[in-house]
Order: sequence, then C-alpha cells, then structure tokens
Amino acid sequence: MSVYDFSAKNGKGEEISLADYKGKVLVIVNTASKCGFTPQYEELEELYKTYGERGFVILGFPCNQFAAQEPGTDEEVQTFCRLNYGVTFPVFAKGDVRGETAQPLFKYLTKEKGFKGFDESHPVAKPLMEALQKNFPEYLEGDSIKWNFTKFLIDREGNVVERFEPTTTPKAMAKAIEALL
Amino acid sequence: MVKVYSMTSCPWCVKAKKYLESKGIEYQNLNIEEDEAARVACQQLSGDLMVPVITANDKDYVLGFDKAKIDTLLGIAG
Repeated sequence: MSVYDFSAKNGKGEEISLADYKGKVLVIVNTASKCGFTPQYEELEELYKTYGERGFVILGFPCNQFAAQEPGTDEEVQTFCRLNYGVTFPVFAKGDVRGETAQPLFKYLTKEKGFKGFDESHPVAKPLMEALQKNFPEYLEGDSIKWNFTKFLIDREGNVVERFEPTTTPKAMAKAIEALL
Repeated sequence: MVKVYSMTSCPWCVKAKKYLESKGIEYQNLNIEEDEAARVACQQLSGDLMVPVITANDKDYVLGFDKAKIDTLLGIAG
C-alpha cells in the first residue's frame, strides 16, 4: 500500500490517481480555502518554484472543516482573509480530512504518520492549542489532522516519510525535501 | 458611497457587511475574486489582497472586521 493507491477529484471534478505522480517527491497538504495560516500558501508556492524542476510537486487539498475558526496569534486576532492568488501547484476539490467523512487518502496518511505534537516555538502553537482545547477538544485526540496546513512528505516510491504540523512553516521543510530529491 | 472589498467565502466579509447593514449604511460590494477591476483597486488601496477592506473615500480604509475602526472611519456614533 502506498499513496499511489489513492485518487482524488481535481477542481474540475475529474478523478486523478496519485499514481500519476509516481517517481516524484510530494508534499500533500490540507489547505484552508481562504483564511488562516495563509502565509503558508506563499511559502509552499516558493518551495514548488524552487524544487519543481527536480521532480517535486505539492498537492493541495482544500478543506472547510477548520474554516472561520481562527485561533489568531497573541498579537492579533485575525479578522480578514487573503486572496490566495498565484498558487500554481495542483489543488484538488474541497473535501474533508478528519473524522468519519475524511477522504481515504487522509485516513491513510494519518495512520502512517501519527500526531507527535506541535512545534511550541512557533508563535501560533500556544493560541492554536488553547483554541483546540476550548472549542474542539476531540480534535486533539489520536492521530487525526489537527488544523489547516498539516503537511505530509512522500518519497519517490510513494512512502509517507514525515508529517509536519501546522506549526512547521513550509520553509522549515526545505532540508527534508532536498534530502529526498 | 461606502465600498466593501470582499470575497465569497470570507466569514469576516459577511460579518462586516452585516454590521454595516445593522447600522443602516448602504455600501457597494466589490468581490475581488470575481471582479478583476475590484482586485486591482483593492490592491492599490491597501497594498495587499486581504479583505474585507472598507472605504468611503478610496483613500482611508479599514482592513479586517474591526468594529471600532469601522465606526471611526464611517463616523458612526458608538
């Protein structure tokens, strides 16, 4: 079993097999459709531009399960959305990533790589944890996806190598990606 | 006329527009996802593509759903 056994619908509703990405290093990420952690979109795009030619692809899976529940940071509670304009990596159709309705791909990914905690040095780790404890304590249980921008790194053979929580910025993943290229 | 730059699935835009309605303020809704001219105008005004952006004179604006700042901008008595 590998990620190549799964498929997902693209933005046009066509079923795409992940086997189409055989031989590439992948990052599979659940994205917020519009709000929250949006700077990560830009950093992901930068990674895609930097490593794309060496056989690296990012697959974005928009999900509304965490929408409009922004934890904010200590400095400011975010009350705006940014237009994610100019993302060129493949973005699939909106779907669930946690719970019983989660897409099979995400059930597989979270089974392969469980939750090991947030990077507490990231400024959003504390408010995110508090928001989860207060509003969605059940999200903290088990290995499920905790929030937008949970990233899974896949090697050229389709193995799930590493899981990065929302508190790891895409930039901080560069070394791990390079090691697989 | 007050302008609200917004996006379809932005909850803060919905809140901002509802707030203006509750104060009886008429506004023009400009969707920066669908309307390229609005996108360009919004970026020129605020320097970024974040919404909601509320303006009455195309110069001073409030970014985000911040009631206090919106009140000040539009001269709404608290």
